[in-house]
Amino acid sequence: MKSLSLIPWLVLETLVNELLSRDANSPERLQKLAGKVLRFDIKELPFVVTVTVEQQAIRLSTSTEGDADCWIQTELGVLPELTDNANLTRLIKAGQLDIEGDPMLAQQLVMLVKGLDIDWESELEAKLGVLPAQWLSNLWRSGQRHMKEASKSHRRWINGVVIEEKRLLPARIEFEQFKQQLQQLRATIERLERQVKQEQ
Amino acid sequence: MNDKQDKQDQQRDSIDFGYQQVARERKKGLVANVFNSVAAKYDVMNDLMSMGIHRLWKRYTIDCSGVRQGMKVLDIAGGTGDLTAQFARRVGPQGEVVLADINDAMLKVGRDKLRDKGHVGNIRYVQADAEQLPFDDNSFDIITIAFGLRNVTDKPAALRSMFRVLKPGGRLLVLEFSKPITPALEQVYDFYSFNVLPKMGQLVANDADSYQYLAESIRMHPDQETLKTMMHEAGYDNVDYQNLTGGIVALHRGYKF
Ligand SMILES: C[S@@+](CC[C@H](N)C(=O)[O-])C[C@H]1O[C@@H](n2cnc3c(N)ncnc32)[C@H](O)[C@@H]1O
Repeated sequence: MKSLSLIPWLVLETLVNELLSRDANSPERLQKLAGKVLRFDIKELPFVVTVTVEQQAIRLSTSTEGDADCWIQTELGVLPELTDNANLTRLIKAGQLDIEGDPMLAQQLVMLVKGLDIDWESELEAKLGVLPAQWLSNLWRSGQRHMKEASKSHRRWINGVVIEEKRLLPARIEFEQFKQQLQQLRATIERLERQVKQEQ
Repeated sequence: MNDKQDKQDQQRDSIDFGYQQVARERKKGLVANVFNSVAAKYDVMNDLMSMGIHRLWKRYTIDCSGVRQGMKVLDIAGGTGDLTAQFARRVGPQGEVVLADINDAMLKVGRDKLRDKGHVGNIRYVQADAEQLPFDDNSFDIITIAFGLRNVTDKPAALRSMFRVLKPGGRLLVLEFSKPITPALEQVYDFYSFNVLPKMGQLVANDADSYQYLAESIRMHPDQETLKTMMHEAGYDNVDYQNLTGGIVALHRGYKF
C-alpha cells in the first residue's frame, strides 16, 4: 500500500526534525542547505532516499520525482565517513562512492545530523522535573558509552546483515526495534509519572 | 419538440448533486452551501472521516509533484490549505503558491490557519472558479486539485482551464476519491460512507446532510479510467494514475508538453 508505506518515513522524519529543533545551531546549518534536494542511492537499500531540505526542517521520501542537486551512490557503512573531505577521493577511487552534483551538499547534510548538539538534561527537566530527568540522563549516558563501544562491531553487523539479506528491509527491522524501545520508554515514563504524582 | 429531444435537453441542463439531479446553475450554489456549512469544522472532520489517512494521501501527492524551490504552484479548490502549506515550504521564498477556492469561507479558514502557522510572504489567496481561472496562460509549474474536482460542475471545462494556465512542461495532479479495486473493500467503504459518515457529520459538525452529499458525490465522480480519458481529452499528455488505499482514492497525473 503506497500511502501506508510512507508511515515509517514520516516517523523517521518527525524524529529527525524533532532532534534538529532541539539543537540551537540547526537553523544556521539548515539555512545553508535550504531548498536543496539530495538523493541517496544506498547499495544495500532497495529504494532511493530523497532528502528535501526546507528552512526549518527536512523531508524524507522514496520518490524520485524532480531533479536533485546532488546524487550520491554509496554504501551504508560509508555514510559517516563523508563528513571528512579527505575521505572523498579515496572512497571514489575505491568505488565505494559516486557523487553527481555538488559534493559539499552531501557533506553538509551528514554533518547536520552528526553534529547535533542537544542539551538533553535541560530539555528533559523542563518536561519531567529534576529527578526523573537526572535519572534518564544517566541512563542515556551509560547507553551512549555502550553504543560507542558497540558501534564498530555494529557497523560491521549492519553491513553483514544488509548485504546477505537484502530482501529483509532494514528500515522495517529498525522500525520494529524502534517501536519496541519506544514502548519500553513510554512504560518507564508512565511509571515515573505515577511515582512523582504519589510523592506530590 | 419530440419526447426524446426533450429528454436530451433536460439532461444537458441538469447535473448531479450527490444523487439528486439539479439544474446546472443551481449546483454551484448548492455546493457552496455545503462548504459554507462545513468550513469551520472542515479540518477536524477530515481527520475523523479518513482516520488521518488523508494526510498520507496529501503527502504522497506532494512527493509525486516534483516540486522544487522557486516554482510557481496553484492549489485550486485548495480549501483550508493543507497542500498549500507543504508546497510553500518547498518552493521557498523565491517561489509562490496560489491558494485558490471558489468559496470565501473556506479560503478565510485557510488563510487564518496558514498565517497562524507562520506562513507569510510566498502564498497568495485568490477566490476563483476552477472552470474559469483568472490567471495568464502558461503561468504555473504545478497545479493540484485535491478532493475538489468532484464538486466542480463542468469538469471538462475545469480541466481545460487548468491546462491553459499550466506552463509547458508543467504537470497537473488530481487527488480524488475513486473506485475501490476490490468488491469487498467497496462494500465496507459503502457502509462506512452511507452509515458511519453522515452520523459522524451529525455528531461533530451537526450537519448530516452535507456529509451525506459528500458520500454521494464521491460515488458520482468518474472512476479511474474515465478521469484518465477526460484528462486526455482536455489536452494532457502522459496521463497516468495510482490507486491509494485500495482505490478509495486515486492520484491522476498529466503533463502539458
Ligand atoms: C473537499 S474540499 C477540499 C479542500 C482541500 N483541497 C483539501 O484537500 O483538504 C473541496 C473544495 O472545493 C471547492 N470548490 C468547489 N467547487 C469549486 C470550483 N468550481 N472552483 C474552485 N473551488 C471549488 C470548495 O469550496 C471546497 O473548498
